[in-house]
Amino acid sequence: MKDLLRKYSGPFSGMFAHWIQRSTGLLLLFYLFLHVRTIYALSQGPAAFDRAVGQFRGPFFKLLEIALLGAVILHALNGVRITLLDLGLPHQRQRRLFWTWSIGLGALIFLAGAIPLFLSSVLRR
Amino acid sequence: MPAFWWYLQRLTGAALALLLIVHFWVEHFVSENLRRGDLTYDAIRTRISNPLWQTIDIAFLLIALLHGLSGARNILLDYSRIGRRGARIATAGFIVVGAVWAWWGIEAFKDLR
Repeated sequence: MKDLLRKYSGPFSGMFAHWIQRSTGLLLLFYLFLHVRTIYALSQGPAAFDRAVGQFRGPFFKLLEIALLGAVILHALNGVRITLLDLGLPHQRQRRLFWTWSIGLGALIFLAGAIPLFLSSVLRR
Repeated sequence: MPAFWWYLQRLTGAALALLLIVHFWVEHFVSENLRRGDLTYDAIRTRISNPLWQTIDIAFLLIALLHGLSGARNILLDYSRIGRRGARIATAGFIVVGAVWAWWGIEAFKDLR
């Protein structure tokens, strides 16, 4: 019983990964709404579109874009983890897989994308 | 088949992972301007005037909507007690939202064809 409680409660259980998946999923859906809203300006001609994307050129939005990259990577890698578990990967490994695959590998890919993005679009060097 | 949406969520998820890598590549890495984060109307017109790219982008949107709205529906049904009738009404609502959203995105390309 104690083991079970430890396994299924607290921040380090599969529940944590589940909440991450749901919250990043909703955030990405909200982003898709903003994205289509901006892209729709394409139908109003070049001036309207360049004005629409121009809103997002400041360093603040570039930082949000880097955060978006993080949310995408977390959601995608964790989604692959869920699919692999569904396909038959042993469930005893689900937690370790979360920390090594979703968080560990995710952090590496995130840094590989975030550092160049930060240098080129936030600092503009 | 009750697990249909459950399977579809995995399939669309896998497709989105691949499409997103392509999308990220063509919008952020293929030219000096894009690497700086400066996307322009002309850059998009050049790409979208190609029917293949247009098909890929529209398919990307439709798959993303299917995946995202299906996920949002799962969340709603998990945390609410709206019953079977309520769930059917919610599903109909999500379908309408998805259809309008898809039309909105596809219309964006109407001058670029």
